[in-house]
Amino acid sequence: MSEQHVPSGAIMVVGSGIGGMQASIDLADAGFKVYLVERDTAIGGRMAQLDKTFPTNDCAMCIISPKLIEVGSHPDIELLTGSEVLGVEGEPGHMKVKVLRHPRYVDIEKCTGCGECAKVCPIERLNAYNMDRNERKAIYKRYPQAIPGAYAIEKRGTAPCRDACPAHQSAMGYVALVAAGRFDEALDVVRRDNPLPAICGRVCAHPCEQNCTRNGVDDPVAVRSIKRFLSDYEIEKYGKPKTPPPGEDTGKKVAIVGSGPAGLAAAYYLRRQGHEATIYDAAPKAGGMLRLGIPDYRLPPEILDREIEAITGMGAKLELNYPVGKDGKNTVQELMDGNDAVFLAIGAHDSSRLGLPGEDAEGVLHGVDFLRRVNLGDHSEVGKKVAVVGGGAVAADVARTALRLGAESVELFCLESREEMPAWQEDIEDLEDEHITINNSWGPKEFVLEGGKLKSVQFKRCTQVFDDEHRFNPQYDENEINDFACDTVIVAIGQRILAADLLEGTDGVELTTRGTIKADPVTMQTSHAKVFAGGDAQSGPSLAIEAIAAGRRAAESIDRLLKGEDIRAGREWKVEVAIPSIEGTKPVPRHHESKLDLDYRLNGFSEVSEKPLSAEEAIDEAKRCLRCGICAECMLCVEACKAGAIDHTMLPKIDEIEVGSVVLAPGFDQFDARAAAEFGYGRWKNVLTGMEFERMLSATGPSEGHLKRPSDGVEPKKVAWIQCVASRDQRMDHGYCSGVCCMFATKEAVIASEHAGGDFDATVFYMEMRATGKGFDEYVDRAKNKYGVRYIRSMVSRVDELPETKNVRVTYLDEEGKSHEEEFDMLVLSAGLTPTDGIKELAKRLDIELNHYGFAKTNNFDPVGTTRPGVYVSGVFQGPKDIPETVAQASGAASFAMSATAGGRGTQLSTFDVPPEKDFSGDARIGVFICRCGINIASTVDVVDVAEYAKTLPGVVYSEEVLFSCSQDNQENIKKRIKEHNLNRLVVASCTPRTHEPLFQKTLEETGVNRYLFSMANIREQCSWVHSTEPEKATSKAKDLVRMAIANAHHLKPLYKRPQSLIQTGMVLGGGLAGMTAALQLAEQGFEVTLVEKNDRLGGNMRFIYRTHDGMDVQKHLKELIEKVQNHPRITLYLGAKFYKTGGFLGNFESEIKLADGSTRTIYHGTTIVAIGAHESKPKRFGYGEDERILTQMTLEGQVWNEPEKLKDAKDFVMIQCVGSRDEERPYCSKLCCSQSLKNAIQLKEEDPDREITILFREMRSYGLKEELFTHARKLGVRFVRFDLDHLPEVKLDGDRPTVQVHDDTAGWLTIPADRVALAAAIDPAEDSVGVAELLKVPRTTDGFFLEVHQKLAPVSFASDGIFLCGLAHGPKPAEETIAQAAATAAKAATVLAKPEMMVGGQVSVVDPDKCAVCLCCVRACPYGVPVISSEDGAAYIEPAECQGCGVCASECPGKAIQLQHFSDAQIAAMTRVAVAENFGELPTLPAQPNRDSDQTRA
Amino acid sequence: MKFSYYPGCSAHSTGRELDESLHNVCRHLGITLEELDDWTCCGASSAHGADPYLAVALPARNLALAKDDVPAVATTCSACYLRLRQALKHVREEGSPEGVGEIREDLDVVNMLDVFLTDEMTEKVAEKARNALEGLKVVCYYGCLSIRPPDVTGVDNPENPVKMERLMEAAGAETLDWPYKTMCCGGSLTMTNIGSVHRLSGEILDMARRAGADAVVTGCPMCFMNLDRSAFEIQRETGKTFVPVFYFTELLSLAFDGNAAKSLLKRHLNDPVRVLESRGL
Repeated sequence: MSEQHVPSGAIMVVGSGIGGMQASIDLADAGFKVYLVERDTAIGGRMAQLDKTFPTNDCAMCIISPKLIEVGSHPDIELLTGSEVLGVEGEPGHMKVKVLRHPRYVDIEKCTGCGECAKVCPIERLNAYNMDRNERKAIYKRYPQAIPGAYAIEKRGTAPCRDACPAHQSAMGYVALVAAGRFDEALDVVRRDNPLPAICGRVCAHPCEQNCTRNGVDDPVAVRSIKRFLSDYEIEKYGKPKTPPPGEDTGKKVAIVGSGPAGLAAAYYLRRQGHEATIYDAAPKAGGMLRLGIPDYRLPPEILDREIEAITGMGAKLELNYPVGKDGKNTVQELMDGNDAVFLAIGAHDSSRLGLPGEDAEGVLHGVDFLRRVNLGDHSEVGKKVAVVGGGAVAADVARTALRLGAESVELFCLESREEMPAWQEDIEDLEDEHITINNSWGPKEFVLEGGKLKSVQFKRCTQVFDDEHRFNPQYDENEINDFACDTVIVAIGQRILAADLLEGTDGVELTTRGTIKADPVTMQTSHAKVFAGGDAQSGPSLAIEAIAAGRRAAESIDRLLKGEDIRAGREWKVEVAIPSIEGTKPVPRHHESKLDLDYRLNGFSEVSEKPLSAEEAIDEAKRCLRCGICAECMLCVEACKAGAIDHTMLPKIDEIEVGSVVLAPGFDQFDARAAAEFGYGRWKNVLTGMEFERMLSATGPSEGHLKRPSDGVEPKKVAWIQCVASRDQRMDHGYCSGVCCMFATKEAVIASEHAGGDFDATVFYMEMRATGKGFDEYVDRAKNKYGVRYIRSMVSRVDELPETKNVRVTYLDEEGKSHEEEFDMLVLSAGLTPTDGIKELAKRLDIELNHYGFAKTNNFDPVGTTRPGVYVSGVFQGPKDIPETVAQASGAASFAMSATAGGRGTQLSTFDVPPEKDFSGDARIGVFICRCGINIASTVDVVDVAEYAKTLPGVVYSEEVLFSCSQDNQENIKKRIKEHNLNRLVVASCTPRTHEPLFQKTLEETGVNRYLFSMANIREQCSWVHSTEPEKATSKAKDLVRMAIANAHHLKPLYKRPQSLIQTGMVLGGGLAGMTAALQLAEQGFEVTLVEKNDRLGGNMRFIYRTHDGMDVQKHLKELIEKVQNHPRITLYLGAKFYKTGGFLGNFESEIKLADGSTRTIYHGTTIVAIGAHESKPKRFGYGEDERILTQMTLEGQVWNEPEKLKDAKDFVMIQCVGSRDEERPYCSKLCCSQSLKNAIQLKEEDPDREITILFREMRSYGLKEELFTHARKLGVRFVRFDLDHLPEVKLDGDRPTVQVHDDTAGWLTIPADRVALAAAIDPAEDSVGVAELLKVPRTTDGFFLEVHQKLAPVSFASDGIFLCGLAHGPKPAEETIAQAAATAAKAATVLAKPEMMVGGQVSVVDPDKCAVCLCCVRACPYGVPVISSEDGAAYIEPAECQGCGVCASECPGKAIQLQHFSDAQIAAMTRVAVAENFGELPTLPAQPNRDSDQTRA
Repeated sequence: MKFSYYPGCSAHSTGRELDESLHNVCRHLGITLEELDDWTCCGASSAHGADPYLAVALPARNLALAKDDVPAVATTCSACYLRLRQALKHVREEGSPEGVGEIREDLDVVNMLDVFLTDEMTEKVAEKARNALEGLKVVCYYGCLSIRPPDVTGVDNPENPVKMERLMEAAGAETLDWPYKTMCCGGSLTMTNIGSVHRLSGEILDMARRAGADAVVTGCPMCFMNLDRSAFEIQRETGKTFVPVFYFTELLSLAFDGNAAKSLLKRHLNDPVRVLESRGL
């Protein structure tokens, strides 16, 4: 019972882009088991498609790759790729999620990512990763560094052709191979499923074609003709059929009765398994019905002979003129006794009879008998005038044969109407071609004889063949008679089986009531265990391919029987048939085999289908295939996969997973730019979208990082970007700003300029530059000034393609309304972000609400909470945003998700053991891996040469170059090589150790090698990238760097970390919205928190704000929040407290605060969260302070919402934006003022529509969904006037009320009187931020805000471990972003506090107290203030848990008393020595370390 | 299939070849066009700028004349089409203007191009095109008024309409995409500012040549007049040569009837026959 109340210790994350990955890592690090659900085959999302990221120009893949690997290898993150959520039940803490797992068809565990499968796959698909700008195979890896690294097969299902074929041949498979011109492989595919392709290529009734999806468009793909082409190609190329060798002799004997298609197929497959197969046939020639029933003009006997010889060539024995049965040479019973198994396939060789008088008279013949006689060489003539009775395929053969035997006229009579005739359409066409009259709806009544000889046949009118239940039940009109005079009539109305005679005296083999042999349709086993039956004798008269299939099935059963296996297991044909939409498919004429001229045709029995398709025709015809299944199921991949990882029989399944909460991060799609048709995307070749251009810039993109115009592949020199494509666009219901495109386009322009190497003209057509983030405005300035990117504020009205050059011409209106035209080589559309395809369906399944754009419905106070408790949201699904905001929000959502199921923490974690360390003493045995980094390194550095060179260096026992050293498959490769070559040192030459060293260290650790026995050379940032124009010198330098890394490796020593206890409580500085949210989140997660606020009340800036952008009551929320904080049992609150001292390190901080009464408190805490806020500045311009009608926007806000009586008589308002922001003093954007002014303006206008409100702005930065405020304000009649820094507005106070003068581009100087002038004053960093930064030893930006460790991927962390930042202290931002960030710091803190102990040491500085002169150099030099003079030994002491491993102390120490471990002097000296000469000096030998301290554990 | 036909002023004057070829094509395709009895001017280019009442009443009056047994009033002229559509929209939303008779509730206004573009009709066109326009490369020109504003005209893709292309392809011609499908030809400025018309139409004709077309195809008598006349007049002044302009109905007639349809082409100012002959048509 009680267990039910313990919340789940697992959390599900849906979507694995950067947000989903970040949430997963935080959750797992903080003690929760994570199920990460991803629709695609690999994680990484959109960020993995980017080339570079703004504002740092980091390579997106380089910074995301370590995260990919972290997620992929995290023991507590379970990846569910190819999966989607079907539904959620339950409450927070106890939720059940149904997850549909689509089959990957590749076993992730077995796949090595070698890619051999993709090499053989014949199916090319548009590559979605590259935005459909190139192709990949149906079996593919989303991108080279993809995690999981396993391939996957894109399959819609089984193609209907394959499903329809009785033998389930991969028709689509060989058709696809023929389309690719790969005839030999196609032939192998054909021969795998069909031992008689030359025959089936001529006479098969091709159910595949009847079921071809192309029937819905025009004509089916000529599958049979393609097969015939292949068999003819086979003979032409090899002279004989390419049959496989027989299997190894098993000593088992099988008797086959009947040499028709069933018997031959069975013999073929039995021989492949090595069983002895003997075919017995009563006829003088082998082939059964193929020989005796099919006229030579359809199947030339030499073709049949060849196929049979191929099978006897495999060792099958053929006993002809050997009847079996009652009067035969053997009975079936005798065969059963003398063999291990018997297969009965005697066919149906007896003609059905009409049962009319005179049927045995001269001139009356029967179909099958007649054909057998002719096929055995009796070409005696028939009469001059011949009637054929019957409407099936045999009747058609009989009629045409009669014609060839000399009949002058042949007429066919059948019961059926033309539409009902059982003959194939092509048979009927052939009959018509050969002028054989078809008389429909006649049934034979009487044979009229004269002198015992046929004179005529009387037919009666058949009025109906089938009754209402479609049973054969002919009805006649006896009054309508047709007396047809003729010399010969051939009755071809069916065949009978003579199985009773065969089986007489045989025990245990039963017949059906129809007289056929009773056998299981799947195994072909009869009622006797070792007797099997197939073909017409078992199924009744049917198709050759049906008989072949039966023979194959029987052979499989017999093989299993003889091996003692279950003969039935897994053999049911169960597939999902794939039928694609044919909408928009254009008809393409089908290729036909050419037929013999009629004159030649009737003169003997030459093959009518005279010529097969030519190779070109076969390829063309194969290209008509619509690729129903996507994957063709040719199974070449299965053969190519050495790991045996591919399984085409995988089926979808549904898992039910119990979790405590769910985080949604499904990401976004790029808006389909086709809808903004005026820009010509999809119509003009050189118009791309931003994401497409991003792929073009990327080394793994379709042009491998080269700028190439799609129209001609030429490098574009002049490229334009158009902003706001389907963003801020009411027409397409995309009224929101996509928030990222301004910076995205700027970055692309900058990177493209760099790619082009200077000679490049980049132009951005934009409406408003919304560079709102930290450092963004500076980035745009750099784009303008350093890279010469032209920004044109404009409206683009049309885009034309010029026919001769395929250049694009942009027509636009400038700010003054003048029209201009300009030509560009290429155009990039900044198409907006839109919720992902299928999001509505997902929302419905999860029972959460969406807003009208399709983003998750949230509110400003609960930015990560959906409308369903326990389900949280982050990233663009919550609203358009960039990467840092997504990452912060993801961590924030993780925090809320943990709070929802806090009690479950730690209950579902995995336990895993690091393998014991090997002994790595003795001489170094070094393995070297040189990374190509796709083309990043290899295009400049000759990596093969470098790898070869490394082999020559001392200690190197293995060296190779690899495509991506960081890929998961290479980690496996490294492990393999370590084991193979007993390596004890690893050297990787690739990129920066900063991001990638931990990955390789982990690989080492997993192989039992100490993680510090690793050395890395950076041959990318420090070599290939900076020397891209000098490949030879770069290669030489790469060798130098590798040589140094190897020298370093010789001097490496194993290091060990030790556990250290930590204080599992947090401290938060600042009691505003950020601080309170962070404290509350930590407390809700179950941690004790101390909240320190310098003022005597909580609330910070929030006390002066009244409404959020989405209209929520701030003061009401604030009151609730304060109550929660004050009453929370786990929050200790200090108000009016001054934070004045702090020390310690991650997990063990000790801080002191002074309270209002002068007393002090010491706080012990594991983490520190900085949330000390910022404040509105006091403007120095625009008459502020001179007149009370001139006020700041925040003051106005108070009046608007709280003291409206003060504005009672105020009619005219002017709001001036950017007061003190984005100028020389404060180059940054204060980010929240535009929307604050809009919000207040809207309220003023709605209160009193007669008010005149004018907003003077530089750019309206109402980014994201806040754009709705801008739109709404315009609709209400708020006026907007743009100004620039050269024409600043002026406020005059010389009249009875202030007037504002502003310069408008079109109207010139305007003078606007105002009752209130509201100044959007800049946000200044908190005054005490300088002091706090010094105490915590954390950095600030030049603007004075705190500086996070990485702007893109670590937005709330400091470089100093255990200290985090959020809210306005980080930079100006609105409430919802502050809340998300604050929660994010709580999640980050939880990753520290959740563990009772942590590992310290390793790469840290160590003081040798004997050498220490206590000079204090280290104490002064350490940027983190770590070294202290120990009272114990009077020498410097460096706390390993605090040491950041930077090495400054070691370099400063004049006495050489400090060594930075892993960067010892010996290492540096060795590296320096070999840097200038190939002199490795004396190489150290590592002593054995028999007694590793038991309390020292490896991290 | 039967429609009430609104010929507009040009069909019986400057656009006679359009009217004649249209009737010929309809005859082939089994479409009956019944000219509205007592039709009057649609208001064309001046009424909607001069008098809000007449802007609706003039075209609405013509709609009121439609017979009960037709689904729609059909026209070819873009200006007429837009005026009639605009009036229909107005009547639907605000009722018939004073003095104008009742307009049937289920009545529609269609462009002849749409009538020819049902699956059934394009199949018929392909079938009847015994003298298929093979080898002839055309660019289709829609102009403005049959396309814009899209909420009145109801076209699917106002930036890149493709219906005329589909029809021309059904008749065997090769169509080329080009950027000037919906550029302005100068419209009614032909009366007041021929210089602008020459410039705009000249650019369109130039672009057609640059795109590699043998000819421009249009459905609007006003566009046709501007293009054909500009080609002729600029040629006379500067010696520059231009590709000819056809009505789509002329080309369909040609595809159906071969040489017999060429007599219509005599009325063109810029000789179209040479191009046809050079393509073996």
